[in-house]
Amino acid sequence: MTSPVVRLTLRGVLARKFRILLTILAVVSGVAFVSGAFILTDSVKGAINNLFVELRGDVDLEVRSTIAFGDAARAERDPVPISMMKDIAALDGVRLVEANLLRQATIIKPDGEPLKTSGPAFGISWNGPDGLDGRTLLEGVIPTKAGEVAIDKASAKRAGYVLGDTVVIVGPIGKGEFTLVGLTGTGSTSGGGGASVCAFDPITANEFLGADNKADSIYIGVTPSAASSAVQKAIEKVLPSGYEVITGEQSAKETAGAINEIIDVFGKVLLGFAAISLFVSAFLIFNTFAIIVSQRLRELALLRAVGASTRQIHQMIIGEGLVVGIVATGLGLLGGLGVAKGITALFNAAGAAFPAADLMISSRTILLSVVIGIGVTLAAAIVPAIRAGRIPPVAAMRPELGFSALQRSKRLVVGIVTLFSGITLFSVGLFVQPGGTVGTLGGSAIGAVLLFLGVASLSTTVAAPASRAISRILPFPLRPMTNSVPGRLASRNAQRTPRRTASTASALMVGLALVSMVSVVAASVKKSFTDQLKASVTADFFVTNLSFQGLPVAFGERLAELPELGSVSPFRATRALINGEEKQIGAVKPEMGDLVDIDIQKGSIDSLVDGNILLHTDPARDLNVGIGDTVDVTWQNGTTSTLTVGAIYADSTVAGNWLIGLDTLAEVSSAPPVDFFIGAKIADGVSIEDARTAVDKVAADFPSAEVQDQAEFQKSQEDQLNQLLAIVYGLLIFAIFIAVLGIANTMALSVFERTHEFGLLRAVGMSRRHLKRSVRWEAIIVSVFGATLGIVVGIPLGIAVSIALPDSFVTATVIPLSTIVTILIASIVVGIFAAIFPARRAAKLDVLDAIATH
Amino acid sequence: MTDVSTVVAAGAINASKIYGKDDSEVRALDDVTVNFVLGQFTAIMGPSGSGKSTLMHCLAGLDALTSGRVLIGDTDLAQLDDKQLTSLRREKIGFIFQAYNLIPTLSALENITLPMDLGGVKPDQEWLDTVIDKMNLRNRLSHRPSELSGGQQQRVAVARALASRPQIIFADEPTGNLDSKTGAEILAFMKHAVTDLHQTIVMVTHDPVAAAYADRVIFLADGKVVDEIENPTSELVLDRMKRLGS
Ligand SMILES: Nc1ncnc2c1ncn2[C@@H]1O[C@H](COP(=O)(O)OP(=O)(O)OP(=O)(O)O)[C@@H](O)[C@H]1O
Ligand SMILES: [Mg+2]
Repeated sequence: MTSPVVRLTLRGVLARKFRILLTILAVVSGVAFVSGAFILTDSVKGAINNLFVELRGDVDLEVRSTIAFGDAARAERDPVPISMMKDIAALDGVRLVEANLLRQATIIKPDGEPLKTSGPAFGISWNGPDGLDGRTLLEGVIPTKAGEVAIDKASAKRAGYVLGDTVVIVGPIGKGEFTLVGLTGTGSTSGGGGASVCAFDPITANEFLGADNKADSIYIGVTPSAASSAVQKAIEKVLPSGYEVITGEQSAKETAGAINEIIDVFGKVLLGFAAISLFVSAFLIFNTFAIIVSQRLRELALLRAVGASTRQIHQMIIGEGLVVGIVATGLGLLGGLGVAKGITALFNAAGAAFPAADLMISSRTILLSVVIGIGVTLAAAIVPAIRAGRIPPVAAMRPELGFSALQRSKRLVVGIVTLFSGITLFSVGLFVQPGGTVGTLGGSAIGAVLLFLGVASLSTTVAAPASRAISRILPFPLRPMTNSVPGRLASRNAQRTPRRTASTASALMVGLALVSMVSVVAASVKKSFTDQLKASVTADFFVTNLSFQGLPVAFGERLAELPELGSVSPFRATRALINGEEKQIGAVKPEMGDLVDIDIQKGSIDSLVDGNILLHTDPARDLNVGIGDTVDVTWQNGTTSTLTVGAIYADSTVAGNWLIGLDTLAEVSSAPPVDFFIGAKIADGVSIEDARTAVDKVAADFPSAEVQDQAEFQKSQEDQLNQLLAIVYGLLIFAIFIAVLGIANTMALSVFERTHEFGLLRAVGMSRRHLKRSVRWEAIIVSVFGATLGIVVGIPLGIAVSIALPDSFVTATVIPLSTIVTILIASIVVGIFAAIFPARRAAKLDVLDAIATH
Repeated sequence: MTDVSTVVAAGAINASKIYGKDDSEVRALDDVTVNFVLGQFTAIMGPSGSGKSTLMHCLAGLDALTSGRVLIGDTDLAQLDDKQLTSLRREKIGFIFQAYNLIPTLSALENITLPMDLGGVKPDQEWLDTVIDKMNLRNRLSHRPSELSGGQQQRVAVARALASRPQIIFADEPTGNLDSKTGAEILAFMKHAVTDLHQTIVMVTHDPVAAAYADRVIFLADGKVVDEIENPTSELVLDRMKRLGS
């Protein structure tokens, strides 16, 4: 407390604690969002890593087939013949050898419905708790023969099965009835991390899961006395080419790494929204400090007059920012725990399966939160601090001179320059896309930030006329606001401090501009999808699997046999190296030509067999090939083929860029096939009802399949999009909430500032109700102004994004009027809401006190 | 003129201050030359709008002249940058305004020592005690301005001005907001500071009674010095004001 600057700073904060409270709240929400994102991803990653370490159990070594290219964890590997186990078991130092087999298997509940899981539904080969994997036996005995199964305890409980019950399970090649003999757990838990797991003895598993004496890989346990690395070398020697042996650690790391990548992406998306919230809270901080500086004009000028240097004034204001930043960051970190819990709950409710995890706050989380929380606050306090330093000492006696010093700025020029560099950067990022995804996202994000700042700065110029216009139009069906004294006062007050009105509105603009933008993009995507579906998809039924595990191929085969259906084709996918680049290749039957119109330019869809390949026009141009030319392809298992171009097509929406026949895929890959979706057309002369009945009958044997007709398919795709939208809007709510806090804060500060004026109004006979109404109207003007700015900025942004998105995704641009009207109406509600506290405060003023205050 | 009693504490030479441009031009100070002698109590009087406050602001380095020079001691204010001007205000000049003199978040004592705290200078405790006792503020030191009466607040302001022993104190209508009894108290204190503590004070006032506390009265009209009285009495001042006013 020795330094007068420190003393003045702390006293300043304490004297204004209520005025600063909302500012702190804004920073707290921003920091909580950031730290919450980190805490969440760290915790989930930690839980997943633990899960995989536990699942690995005692596996010391693992034998699997090699791949020619691509990501180790996500690769489609050829299976390993279980005959190989004999040779490995004979080696010195090998204690145990097991087949690792994991396939789709769905538990049917006693009521005949499939058991829904938040994760995948697995069937596995199990050697019991003494075997190598991390599965434990919690109750009962291990399954040892045909007709026996052990199920993870959590799933059994959810399905309502107890030991001894008969359980129906649907595997990849058909249904089976099993007696439940054991309940299993994973490591220390009783579940499968969101998945359901049916464990069979190895022989039963091989049959029921259709493994054909092949395993996904072979697990090896090493005797305690033997060195794992020596055993690994010995195994390497006996392995035929095309196989490799890796350590259990590496295997676990690869699998967990693949999932961690997905979580990291998710974390980055959350951080993106957190950044938006912080950006909005920066507006609030800036505004609060700017208003407080102008309210303290006389005090600051007096300090200058009695000898405070410009630097000391800067230090004081920045110091107040520092105090706010520190307090808010501390609270924000605590809030982050809540946010992490909240988001987990939100996403679990939406169907994502986050494993239950202990929340972890790493030192990186703390460090970044501190840097960001304090950094944003300080950055936002800089301009008000600089302005405060400009207050001349004469202002102690002539405040009007101080106000003109505060208002001096090259706002228009700076605003226009910022706006245009923002637009340029945004467009370059979006359309030129320098440096791939990073360049696109980075460029357009920075562009958008500059654009928002530019608009915020320029909006000061239009704030006064816009407020006037809004107050004339607003209660449109009723009498205009300006016909009443409170309405007129509200309108005048909004016009009186255009800078304040503008920056308060701008905070709301940011959130609502993003909402408008997203709604334009979403509407365009929906429209394009529907158009596309109508124009090029001729299939009557679609079969998908909503848990992303794919469909057993048997389903497509049985559909193809139905007399009620005409053309049926599954869609499979694989990866291949073409011209040195990894590509996704689709595999279909020629019948696909009846289901999807891929707009063949040259050649025929019937060439989709026998070592032919079909190309979209883009890659055909890039490779410079035509019909009859050949394309060299390396498959993931290392096989190479020379395929002949059979046709070239122009519509890649459904088919992608490369297509081969199912028979070609079967020749080159022995990885167990799954269908991503199946399209089917009704046979001539069969009614849609009859066809549906027939399809549904087959589907009853495949509980994971979802059969939809065109309308249902369209609806389910739109539902998915809507769900995504709901999440995006949900995350933007944070930013909007902070902006609403901002309006409340500005109004509260204005009410405080006008204490004397309100006292005068009350003295000359204005009622409390009128006073309240005037405050409320002003908040509405500000929020409607912000919403209008948001819509005006957001819609062009949305149109730009829609145009920039690839044609295979978005072909139409739609402006959703209903959303825009909703935003405008919501902004009125927001204004009323934000005014509750300030209006009450204004109404509570005691007339005498108010007049006595300077 | 090397007599100790006539050493110049501050002065303006050919000082002019013009506000606005062209048509709306206001000549608030018009070629004013005036000196303030060390250890003297000077009152500045004149009709409203005659340029009193402007002169004082320019003398105190709060505002810049359009032309001419202002000297504090032998320092020419025009030669100083903002930083030097700030420390000059802190060390050489004291202020008393009509109102809003104190920082509301600081106690009376903290307000008194504020200029020295800002400069990182330790106050001379003995002198501080003297000033506090003279201003009769001993038992009000820990109070915030809002807990003090108007007269007490002005006394704190006077104490602040005196505490750093500035070369010169400027006071703009320091008693303008006070009743005559409280005003008289403040004026007596100021007078006392000049005679007993050898301060130099320049005070703007509209009140002939207040002016009578001064050693010398300067009259301004339309931005020019138009008259001057040594050792004024209130009758003398009133009489002169009447003549100037007509
Ligand atoms: N910032 C300004 N801009 C324009 N004109 C100004 C400004 N400040 C003062 N003036 C003008 O300069 C003239 C002198 O003003 P000043 O404040 O010095 O008068 P004063 O003698 O102190 O008056 P009063 O007794 O009413 O305080 C006035 O005509 C005033 O209108
Ligand atoms: Mg004046």
